[in-house]
Formats: sequence, structure tokens, C-alpha cells
Amino acid sequence: MSLLRSPSSEPLWKEEFSVFTADERYVTRRQFVKFLSLASVGMFVGNLWILAKAYFAKPPTYPASAIAEVGEIPVKGVKLFSYPGPDDRCIVVRTSEEEYVAYSQKCTHLSCAVYYSAKNDRLECPCHQGFFSIKDGSVLQGPPPRSLPKIVLQTAGGKLVATGVEVSENG
Amino acid sequence: MAKPPVSAESLLERFGPHPAYTPPGGWQDESRNPADRLVKTHCCFCGQQCGIQLKVRGNQVIGFEPWEEFPFNHGMLCPKGVKRYLQGGHPDRLLDPLLRTPQGFRTASWDEALDFTASRLLDIQEKYGKDAVAIYGGASLISEKSYLLGKFARVALGTRHIDYNGRLCMVSAGTAYKLAFGVDRSPLPWSDIPKAQVVLVAGANVAECAPITTDYLWRCRDAGGKLIVVDPRMTPICRNADLYLPVRPGTDLALYMGLLHVILRDGLERRDFIAEYTTGFEQVPESVRSWDPRTVADKTGVPPESIERAAHLFAKTDRAIAMHARGVEHQSKGVENCLALINLCLATGNIGREGAGCAMITGQGNGQGGREHGQKCDQLPGQRSISDPEARAHTAQVWGIAPEEIPQAGYSAVEIMEAIHRGEIRALLSACFNPLVSLPDANFTQEALEKLEFLGVVDFFLSETAHFADVVLAGSLQEEEEGIGCAAEGRVIHIQKAVDPPGNAKGDSWIYCELAKRLGKGKYFPYASTREIYDELREASHGGHADYYGITYEKIDKNMGVFWPCPSLEHPGTPRLFADGRSFHPDGKHHFVVTEWRESGDPVSAELPIYLTTGRVVSQYLSGTQTRRIGGLVEQYPNPRVEIHPRLAEQHGIKDGDWVTVTSRRTEITLQAMVVKTIRPDTVFIPYHWPGGRSANRLTHRTLDPRSKIPEFKVSACRIRKAMVAPDWVKNAEAKPALPTKGRP
Amino acid sequence: MHGYEFYVDPSRCIGCQSCVKACEECETHRGKSMINFDFIDRSGTTATAAYVCWHCEEPTCAMACPADAIKKGEDGVVQSSLKPRCIGCSNCVLACPFGIPKVFPELEQMMKCDMCYDRTSIGKRPMCATVCPSQALSYVRPENITRRREKPTNVFYFGKQKIVTRVHMMVPETSDSVSLDVLDYMWEESDVAFAQPQ
Repeated sequence: MSLLRSPSSEPLWKEEFSVFTADERYVTRRQFVKFLSLASVGMFVGNLWILAKAYFAKPPTYPASAIAEVGEIPVKGVKLFSYPGPDDRCIVVRTSEEEYVAYSQKCTHLSCAVYYSAKNDRLECPCHQGFFSIKDGSVLQGPPPRSLPKIVLQTAGGKLVATGVEVSENG
Repeated sequence: MAKPPVSAESLLERFGPHPAYTPPGGWQDESRNPADRLVKTHCCFCGQQCGIQLKVRGNQVIGFEPWEEFPFNHGMLCPKGVKRYLQGGHPDRLLDPLLRTPQGFRTASWDEALDFTASRLLDIQEKYGKDAVAIYGGASLISEKSYLLGKFARVALGTRHIDYNGRLCMVSAGTAYKLAFGVDRSPLPWSDIPKAQVVLVAGANVAECAPITTDYLWRCRDAGGKLIVVDPRMTPICRNADLYLPVRPGTDLALYMGLLHVILRDGLERRDFIAEYTTGFEQVPESVRSWDPRTVADKTGVPPESIERAAHLFAKTDRAIAMHARGVEHQSKGVENCLALINLCLATGNIGREGAGCAMITGQGNGQGGREHGQKCDQLPGQRSISDPEARAHTAQVWGIAPEEIPQAGYSAVEIMEAIHRGEIRALLSACFNPLVSLPDANFTQEALEKLEFLGVVDFFLSETAHFADVVLAGSLQEEEEGIGCAAEGRVIHIQKAVDPPGNAKGDSWIYCELAKRLGKGKYFPYASTREIYDELREASHGGHADYYGITYEKIDKNMGVFWPCPSLEHPGTPRLFADGRSFHPDGKHHFVVTEWRESGDPVSAELPIYLTTGRVVSQYLSGTQTRRIGGLVEQYPNPRVEIHPRLAEQHGIKDGDWVTVTSRRTEITLQAMVVKTIRPDTVFIPYHWPGGRSANRLTHRTLDPRSKIPEFKVSACRIRKAMVAPDWVKNAEAKPALPTKGRP
Repeated sequence: MHGYEFYVDPSRCIGCQSCVKACEECETHRGKSMINFDFIDRSGTTATAAYVCWHCEEPTCAMACPADAIKKGEDGVVQSSLKPRCIGCSNCVLACPFGIPKVFPELEQMMKCDMCYDRTSIGKRPMCATVCPSQALSYVRPENITRRREKPTNVFYFGKQKIVTRVHMMVPETSDSVSLDVLDYMWEESDVAFAQPQ
């Protein structure tokens, strides 16, 4: 309905509730219910599509990317890097002479950047006191619902290479 | 002894009439379980034989659909046709044969019932002679069945007494037309009516008794035609009449002779037509000389100016039609009345041309077909006479018997009942006839029925007559057997079989063939279907006036009906008779038959000063056995009312809705008054579709026309008085009488 | 619809009530007849009249309905009341100048003739006009009605209200409209007098 009506001798209610089906402006209950049903079906179909997409999805392939020299990071030291894409911030920790672990730095709670606490030997999120295990990224405490995705590391030619991301199913 | 085994109330409670209102399964059932086929057929009621389609699901008729292509009625129907489909699944439908016991009727097997019937008939014939058994047939039966009954009476039973309820309908007109033209059929197709310039409707309540004919009359008026109506009552078509003649009951003959008097006096007759195509005119002027308009006015109550005007209208036009029905025919002068109308047409040259002629409006469904093929006491198939040696020889040859074995003419319907009453006839087998309601002097009929040693009835509902039966054979509705009928205009039509009879009910034709077997004459009735009966009928009618030889079921379907005579398969049928100017008489001429006045059989007197006339209403049909079981039709006009003019009502202190006792020389009945200005003040009218204490025929008398043997239903003498209490019949009525309703039914 | 028009001629009516019986066989309102049938004054005359809904171009019943339950479709047929909306208030019964709508208290709903919509919408003829033995109710092509001496009109005046209907009434040749109020003929009322016999 336009707020500006052209001048008419008919009262407004006559126009709005016209007895002629051709001039009806209000949606009838039937039309509305039809619309709802259509939308509902549409959404259901959409959900099925999404389900199908996920079911038939190929496992993602990840590039290999060198993130550091072997020996560059001191023991109990960290380096920040991006993997697989430039906005995927990650953190690698040298837990011992030979062992390195790397995780996505995005806290699974609200995406704050986690840091390594050498004193507590764990990954900590400064926002809401969420703590992750350095061994496997699982949640030790706090609001985060899921483990941190783990970055798969390999050594090749004296470099540390990130080759994949492991996302655990649950928290 | 044929007396009802138990009280009427208990029979009514068990067998009805119980008015039915809804289709089988209820009103909504059809949308869940739709019909699976439409059957094109014809109405089971009146002689118009309107085309109609029946909706059928499985083995049940569940509704109707108009049949717009059928050329007679173009889909039009009256309320009876609209509601006829409610009969098939009706709770009152007889599903098994019934045998009488002291406790009432019990169901029986077919063998038991048929064996019993045959043995009783044979016993009585052995004791009292072959003619101690009589057969009543009916004019709603398809022609195959009426033919079969005629053969059954003469071949299987060897009795000469067979007649039918059409004796109460068409015989006056039939006799008159045979005398004048040599043949008994309406000479013109209904499509001629709109082409006429003047139509005289005499004694025909077209609107209520032949409703579809109304449209034909209105179309005649649309084209400028004029309508003259003769009737003691102002029926609905009178409103559009150009001239209305309120004739006193029983005086029609004077009126028509008066019209002819004026025509001859003013030289309006067609002399060249009379000379070339007719004989017998010489005596006519003398026979009408004394019937001048003033004399006629005194006799009939019609003003002299109206008589002059009617005569001039009819004679001074090129094309005029005179149509008539029971009003003129149900009189002891019924034949004379029709002859007088025919004389009018012959004198004015109105016969054998499009839009001109005379026509009888046959009232019953197969009233025309039912009076052609031997169901009448003096008739053989093809409209032949039972006393004609050539006819007997031909028929005997078709039937496979010797001509001497065919009995001579027997008694007509009322005469059969009188013979039963005096003990001459001891057994009666009745089909499609409810004499207790339809015959005049109902108390006499009841006494006669009680004297019968054996009464067998073939019917699909327990009629009032069947209350007295020893055995009731559960027969079939019109839609349950295939066959043909002949409509009022002479068009032979095809009745389709839509369903099988329900329960253990059987087709009527099977019943008669089985009876014939048990009477030892099975070899003459070898039919496996009605089609086989029809093929024999075609043979039997061949060469007679009503020649059906060239008419087959398929030809009827293809041409939407075929008019007889149709002597060969290539012949297209004969819609208009006498188109070549020749009648069916051996001399080929139309015969003037002189008429002579006499008084009615039950004249008014000082004690019985009022004329009683009887008739019909649009929502009921004949004795009401079928239509009193249909709720909507019962509601339209629930109980008979006696129509009284306000002037007469005032004289007796009667107001609309009061109980009024009407007394005739026979007895009296009490009904509610309907005070209306649409009837002569010296006449009262009662419709006759109800039994017992509501039966108009308790008041009527058994005077017959001497030539046609039709009872004089339309003229009786009576007196009326206001009754103080309601009558007993109110307890058992299908619908309770209404409070006073300002003249409305 | 589909080239046919509905014509009503009470002077042809013979009071057989075939229309009343056939109407209740139609599919939209099985078991209930929507024909308005009257004996005009049986004590004085056999005159009867059967009327269907006139399917007015601007239906007064629909305008008066407080529940917006009566609709007229694009084909000109004014439908019976919508079942979910009708409250059985009888406003339409009072409003209709022809007295057509009937309220059925057991259903709390108004029902009226919808010109056998299940039949006319697919090109068949309404039940009443098909069965009427005198064709007082007829549903024919306009060229077929010209053979009658009466002529059809669909303009009615009820005092100041002019009503144009879908269904035609047969009137004498010299009339153009049907007017039932003497005001329509008076000189003093000439500013509102629409109906002058020609």
C-alpha cells in the first residue's frame, strides 16, 4: 500500500477489503500458508543439499609449506606462521629438542589468539581463561568447546614443513 | 381369503412408505466414492418419457445428470424425475419373495413362491374354469413386459381376463381415435406444437401432469401463438392463457359441440378438406344444431362470448392443435368428448400437417406402448383386435399355438374387479398396478380383494394392494431391465438397464417365464433376455398398425427414438401420421363420428349439490407407491387437500386448513381444506395419490364409458361439511398435516 | 459465462419445484437447495416464482459482510460465504434487496446460489436452468433469448440504489429496468428518479 493514495470517493476500508477477488490486496490465509509451506520445504531441501554436500565432500587437500628452519626455534620457544592461507594464523611450539607441535592460533571459543605459556606448559587464551593441552590441543579448561586444530608437521631438507590440518570431531 | 395378515400399522412400519431423503451413503458419499458410469435412459414416471442420465456406481444408482442431447426434453425434468434415483437403494425395497402367514409376511425362496403361485392358479382354474383367473398389468412396464403379460394370460393361463391400469388412462382417447382415424396414437410429434397458431388445451393440467410440455406451449406463444385452456380449475398454465373456459365438470361435450355449432353457423369449416379427406360429415350439422352458445353456456357455465371467441380463434387460423388429457377422458362420455374434439379438427382441416392436428397427452410412462401389444382385454400385438380372424391367425403363428387357443375378449379393469366381487373371478395376479388406490369406489375394491381366493402381486415396494396378497414376488424397477417404451408423442424410446435388481429381487420378465414353466407352458417362454422378447414383439406387431418391425434398440439409440409405424429396417419411422391425407381406415378417410349428449353417471342432486373432481399434483405419481417413498416429494405436497372456492367455503363456515368431510354416494373422507379462488365455486378437487382414509377414490363411482370402459373419475356428486376432529389417518401419514397455510399445500 | 447468460422469467413458472429439487443435487452444497421459491398468493392465484442469486455487479451482501466472507470472482459469480470467515450474523440476509442469502443456524453459515459453480466454471449449465420444464429459469446464449416476446434487463432500482446484476429478468418489451419504488417515478423526486418507463 502506498502511503500516498490518489483521491477517491471510496473509503479506505472498501479498497483494502475489496469484495472483488481481482482487487484483493491482503494476502489470504491460504496464500500465506502456501508461502510458509513453500519456504519450509525450501529450507528442508536446502538442508538436505547441505547434508549431501558434506556427505560427499572430498577430504580437503593441503599444500606443503615451510614454516621454519630446523633449529631456528629454541626449546620451549614459539613461532607464529600462517597456514594454509595467509589469514589462518598458527603457532608452532618446540616442546623439546626433537619435538615440535603446531596448532591453529584461533581459540575455538571466540577466536582470540592463543599463546604458549612455558610456565604452565600449555596453550592459553587470554580472553576467557581457556587452556589447551600442548600435547594434542584438547581443551583443559574453560569455555572453548573444541580442541584446537592440529597442524601436521614434517621435516624435509632441514626445514619444518606444514603439510595438513587435523580437525578433531569434538571438543 | 385375501385379507391383510396383520394390521395395517405393522405392515406400514415394516414395509413403509418410509420417505427417503438422501442418496445411498449420504450426501457426501459421492465425492468420496464417485459414480463410475452415466447411463442414458428415460424417466420411470410419466408419458413424456424425458431423457435422463443415471449415475451408477457398482450395482447402485446414486444420482442423476440431465441428458441435454435428447431432443424431446433437452435435459429438462420435473421434480419426480430429479428424485427418482432414490428408489434403487430404498430401505422399503422388497429384496425377497414374500409369503403370507398369520403373523405377517415371511420371506421365501423363489422356488417356494413360484411353485405356490403356479399351484394355486392351476387349482383355481381346475375348480372354477380357466376364466376364474385374471391378470392385471400396468402401463409403466416396458413394452416387452406388457407383450409378455398378454401372451402369458392367453398362452400360459388360457384366460381371457387380462387388462391393465391404462384402462384408467388412455382408453377413451384410444377408442375415439380408432373410430375416427383407425389408429390409436397421437398423430403429431411434440415439435409441431410451437408451430401452431392456436393451441386448445382441453382437460389437461399440463403444468403438473406433463410439465415438459409447458415449454412447448410457451414457445408456441413466443412465436405469436394463442392458448385456449378448458378446465374447471385455473391450473398454472391458465395464467398465460389467451382464453380460459371454466367448464363445469362433465359438460365438456356440450362445449365442443357448441364450438362446432358456431364454426358451422358462421361458415368457417373447410369444405374442400371435408369433401376430399373425410366421410360422415352429413349427420354432423344436425347433431350440433341445438348447441347454440346460449344453450351451451347454461349447460357448461362458460359465457357465450367466450364460446364464440374460442370457436373463431380455432377456426380462423391456418394451423390449430387440440390437445387433451384425462379431464375430458375420465368421463362416462370420455369417448364422445374426444370425438367432439376430433370433429373440430376435421371440420377445420387441422390434421396431417405441420403445426396442426389433435393430440392426446398420454399420462403413464409406457401408456402408449402398453396399449399396443396385447395387454388389453380385447387386443393383440400391433394394436390388433382379438376378434379379428386375421389378427388371431398371425399372432397364433408367432406364438406357436393354434388360433382357436387364443381366448376371446375378456373384462376390462373395473369389470374384472366387479367380477371378483361377485365371485366369478377367484384369483388375480397383479403387476405394476395398485387397484386399491387407483380404481374408483375403493371400498368396493377392498371388499372384492378380500373375497379373492388367491392374490399374487409382482412389485418392488409393498403397495397397499399387496397388503392383501397371498404371495408377493419381488420384481424390478425400470432401470433394472432393458427394453423399449413408447412416449406420448409416439416416439419409441430405449430404456437402458443400469443395474441388476438388488438382493434376491428378480427382473419381472424372468418371473413370468418361470411361472409359465411351472404352468407347463415353458416352451412358449424360452427367453433368456428382454431383447429376445422384443424380437418376438417385432414379429408379432409386424403388419399391424403399431408396426415395430423396423425398430431395433440400436436404431433407437442412433436416431434418438423412432416413431411407429416403422414396417422395415430401412424405414425412418413416422413422426407425423396422416401426412399423405389418408387415415388408417380401409377407406383411407377420416371419419366424423356424431356425438350425442347424456348426463354423467353420478349426477348432482339436492343432497349432493357439489361436483367432485379428482386429479393429480406435480410431486406425486399415480398411486404414490413410488413417490410417497421419496422425502422431498412428500414434503412438497404431503397430504391431499380438498380445494374449495372461498364462496363455497364461506357458505359452510370453512377456513383454509380446517378439516372438511366430503361425502359422496359411496362414503366419506375427511381432509384439510385448501381455500383457493382457482376453482369453480360449485366444484371441489381432491388429488388421488394416497390410500385409505386419504383416498379420493373412496368417493368416486364405477360408472364406465360404455365404449372405452374408463371410469368417470372426473365427475362425482358430493356434499361438504366442516369436521370437528382430525381423522384417524393422520397417525399413519408419511408426513404430518401442516397448520393452516393461506392456501398453500 | 462461456457465452451463456442466465434469464429468469417468473411469468413462465409453473410451480413444479423441479429447480428446488435439482439444486440440492449440485456439488457445492449437496443436500441443501439454494433456490428461493415462493407461492405469490396461492389462495388467489397459482402464480409462483423461483429465484436464484442475481450475482450483482456490486453485491450488497458482500459490501455488508463484516467478516469479508463474500467474494465475487473475476467471472462475475458471487460466491457463497467463505466457510472460515462467515460468522452467521445475517447482515447479508438483511442487506440483499432480493432476499437471497439464507443463514443455516446449524452450520452458523450463510449459503446461497453460486450459479452451480462446479458446473458453470467448466462450461456446463446450472442444474436449475437445465431441468426447469417451463424454462422460467434458463441459461442460454443471448441470441436465443431474442425469440421471446419479453426482453431481458439487468438493471434494478431500489429507491436510490441502482443495482446492475449478472442474471437477467425478463420484462415487457417496453421496459428497460425493474423499479419497485414509486419514488423512482415521481416528478418531485426527479433528482433521484432514474427509472422512467420509456
